[in-house]
Amino acid sequence: MTESDTKIMVIKKSATFWVFLVLVAIGVAAFIFGLNGRHPERAWQAYLINFLLWSAIAQGAVLFSAVMHITNARWSGPLSGLSESFAAFFPISYILFLVLFLGRAYIFPWLHEDLHGKEVWLNIPFLFTRDCIGLLILYILGFGYLFNAMQLKLDPNQPKSKLRQSIYDAWRRNNRQPDQIRRRMTIWGGLYILAFALVLCLIGFDLIMSMDPHWISTLFGAYNFVKAFYIGLGALIILAAIIRLRQGEASRLTASHFHDIGKLYFAFCLLWADFFYVQLLVIYYGNIPEETNYVIVRTMLAPWNRLAWTVFIVCFIAPFFILLRQGVKTKPVFMLIICSVVIVGIWLEHLLLLGPALSHEAPRAIPLNLSDGLISLGFLGLMAIAIGYFLKVFPEIILVKEKS
Amino acid sequence: MPLESHIMGLFRDENSVVAAINALKESSFKFIRVNTPFPSHKIMNALKLKKSMVGWFTLCGGILGFIGGFALAVFTATRWDLIVGGKPIIAWVPFVIVGFEGTILLSVFGNVIGLLILTRLPSYRWFKYYDPRCSGEHFGVLAACKIEQKDGLKDFFQKQGAEVKVFE
Amino acid sequence: MSQLTYAKIDQTILDTLSPPKKFYWFTLFLLLVGVLIGAACWTYQIFVGIGAGGQNNPVAWGTYLINFVFWVGIAHSGTLISAILHLFRAGWRNPIARAAETMTVFAVCIAGLFPFIHLGRVWQVYYMIPMPTQRLLWPNFLSPLMFDVIAISTYLTVSSLFWYTGLLPDIAAVRDRSTGTRYKIFKILSLGWTGAHEQWRHYGRGYLFFAALATPLVISVHSVVSWDFALGIVPGWHTTIFAPYFVAGAIHSGLAMVLTLMIPLRKLFKYEDIITIEVLQNVAKTIVFTGLIVGLAYGTEFFIAWYSRNIVEIEQFRWRAFGDYRWGFYFMVLCNTMAPLLFLFKKVRTTIAALFIISLIVNWGMWWERFVIIAGGVAHGFPPHAWGLYAPSLIEYGIMLGTFCLFFFLFVLFVKHMPSISMTEMKETLVEGAGHAA
Repeated sequence: MTESDTKIMVIKKSATFWVFLVLVAIGVAAFIFGLNGRHPERAWQAYLINFLLWSAIAQGAVLFSAVMHITNARWSGPLSGLSESFAAFFPISYILFLVLFLGRAYIFPWLHEDLHGKEVWLNIPFLFTRDCIGLLILYILGFGYLFNAMQLKLDPNQPKSKLRQSIYDAWRRNNRQPDQIRRRMTIWGGLYILAFALVLCLIGFDLIMSMDPHWISTLFGAYNFVKAFYIGLGALIILAAIIRLRQGEASRLTASHFHDIGKLYFAFCLLWADFFYVQLLVIYYGNIPEETNYVIVRTMLAPWNRLAWTVFIVCFIAPFFILLRQGVKTKPVFMLIICSVVIVGIWLEHLLLLGPALSHEAPRAIPLNLSDGLISLGFLGLMAIAIGYFLKVFPEIILVKEKS
Repeated sequence: MPLESHIMGLFRDENSVVAAINALKESSFKFIRVNTPFPSHKIMNALKLKKSMVGWFTLCGGILGFIGGFALAVFTATRWDLIVGGKPIIAWVPFVIVGFEGTILLSVFGNVIGLLILTRLPSYRWFKYYDPRCSGEHFGVLAACKIEQKDGLKDFFQKQGAEVKVFE
Repeated sequence: MSQLTYAKIDQTILDTLSPPKKFYWFTLFLLLVGVLIGAACWTYQIFVGIGAGGQNNPVAWGTYLINFVFWVGIAHSGTLISAILHLFRAGWRNPIARAAETMTVFAVCIAGLFPFIHLGRVWQVYYMIPMPTQRLLWPNFLSPLMFDVIAISTYLTVSSLFWYTGLLPDIAAVRDRSTGTRYKIFKILSLGWTGAHEQWRHYGRGYLFFAALATPLVISVHSVVSWDFALGIVPGWHTTIFAPYFVAGAIHSGLAMVLTLMIPLRKLFKYEDIITIEVLQNVAKTIVFTGLIVGLAYGTEFFIAWYSRNIVEIEQFRWRAFGDYRWGFYFMVLCNTMAPLLFLFKKVRTTIAALFIISLIVNWGMWWERFVIIAGGVAHGFPPHAWGLYAPSLIEYGIMLGTFCLFFFLFVLFVKHMPSISMTEMKETLVEGAGHAA
């Protein structure tokens, strides 16, 4: 691989970086403006939704690489490497979670309620401690996996930054053979998958389900991690599509890669809808007031029922019928649009789940306004900068095949 | 006396089959079919066939099944008009399951019917010009030629490295 | 695998179809005796009434439902292996796909028997069929039991058609190497298949659709079976996690049954070069995965029961871990989640005896899981005055013996008369080598 090849691939401090930095600034400004306004809880609501969404995207995307490795899948090719770049968001996500602590008075509706014994689990110190530890473990395992996975991909002759240099030094100190590295990838990857399931269940219970502290659904945790993988895959497809559109042939992403990951995406679209329906059906039949209240407010009463139908159509009905056609999956432009729309749909789904719990009076209209959009743009900017930085420091992550 | 002579060349590996098919297409002989013990991607690509229409049968079956499943559930519910378990008489949430199973069942029926129609099975017509070795380790390429060219075709196959079988 | 050739594949598999020895007929005879014992018990129950079984108030659903769920579960991993792994282009499925599909078809047949058995008055089964009757009886599809009727019958039909379609090229291969009666029978069964490219062209696409349709079917069928329980309000049953939990459990028990069947088959039929230790290892690794999912489900149920602060839920789960059926619960956790973790060690994964024993342990554990859920749920429900226990009666044991024997009877009958490994798919793997393997 020549110098010029790498130069094409490098995402320099180009115009794109400044655009995303501006987005971040806008987001921060909108957030602070919201905090000082009349409804700071609205700003925190937007913050929470975005934190959950973008963290899930990053966690789900990295899961793809771990799963591909554990199952010895060979079809993924450069996609595995690309998915690893989402790990750059992990530290940002962690800091964002810590910031959530500042808004605890506005975020957790159960703070001043009589929880009939649930205080053992739902109290601020315990919640933050366990979630901090959980996220920390998850992210450390993710980085551990990455440390080994990248060793098989990186070219030692690349222009070095301090970060790369320190990583290379660590690798040289360890001096492992490819076989050993692959074994370690299996162990770290396996542990990451396990932690993913457990931590995303925990986050689902703690930060979404318990916002309505008297409601339970045993599947909710698993629903959360299936959703995370769904949008993680979507984000991966978006990134792959962007790279394919910019680099063309040099990206080594072929139509069959898009076809295969499109099919996996379609499968997870179905699985997400299935997990959604399964909960709905059991609660519908049981008709137990403790359970049905949550569902009735969100799917049958105004204003949330409109949002529920929107989410269902955008995240399931539309992608289902569109992705049935083989041709659509192989065209990066279409996949980019579809996956982006679905991510917006899942953003709305978070609003659907959290909104009624976080709004103290029943709103007449769905609490969604420009400020929410601007804050979301800020998070988008953070994600883009993180991935861009990663791809800048490790440009061959998408180019070089795993050395055998 | 038949005007055409059918000859099958039996090969033992895919690559020679592909070479033979390409050569046959350029020759004056008529290529009829190739019998393989398993679906070989290389050979199917070399034949440049159009995509199979089986999917349309499946789709029709699926649509019929979807409507049929819902129709069945709605029909049986309306025969009695009883409120059961506090649920409406026509309850869409559970009827989705009936519709879904109906979709799968009838699309599979469509699939099978499509397969039978398109592959023209069951039928013993396929046994004409067939060698039983083609389901074992041989690939049989069947070609036809005019009676006068019979020897030419035999030579052609032998040059390609095949065992020759002549059908009368 | 590298020393396999088309001829060797054909020879190895066709050898299994040679006239069976005395040992085979003896095994079949023993199994048939088991089946007849089961049939006799069922006949007795039809005359005496459903009370011949141990189910009563409060536990009205006993081994008949437990076995029903058990067998449907086993059927699922057959479809996983033949359909889902086909979609993922996992080459390691090819040696075991045929036997797994066969296991599915027979397991669904056995499972389908149990609603009949549990009906008591079996002659009234036609009430469930949505057809115009003289009494204008129509079933109500709001009932999860009716979902079961359509789901299981759809699954049986689709699995059988899928199985037959997959068998077709192999039946042709056997036909071409047979003489006499076998030739005549296989000629009819093969429907005239000759492997012509015009036939393969449609076949490949049709098979892909089969796989794509069977996959959501698998998930829906066991979800439907789980809803027999989850759609009521019984504590321990009414929980949203049941559908994916049952599907994961089904695949778990089915994979264990695949190992239980494949390991002796491989030894007796000398399939070691085809069903290699690699294939068995992959099955073992998948079992670790499904075991962990099932373990996560166990843990989540307990957590949510505690979190809910609902005294009935808490009591149900306290009783599950420490009450009368606690041994079933310990079997459940130890055998389903802990035992498969041994497969994380390569030494264990590659020892045939270990694979076989752990597969039996998982089967045992999965049966007990269904017991704990089904019998345990109703035994310890809402009103304490209605708490009661359940133990299967001799008739139920007899019927259970009969159905287990019937399954193995059908399977043993199959493997000696039909190719138990797909010759066609094995030849495809030879050609593609590493290219198409996952």
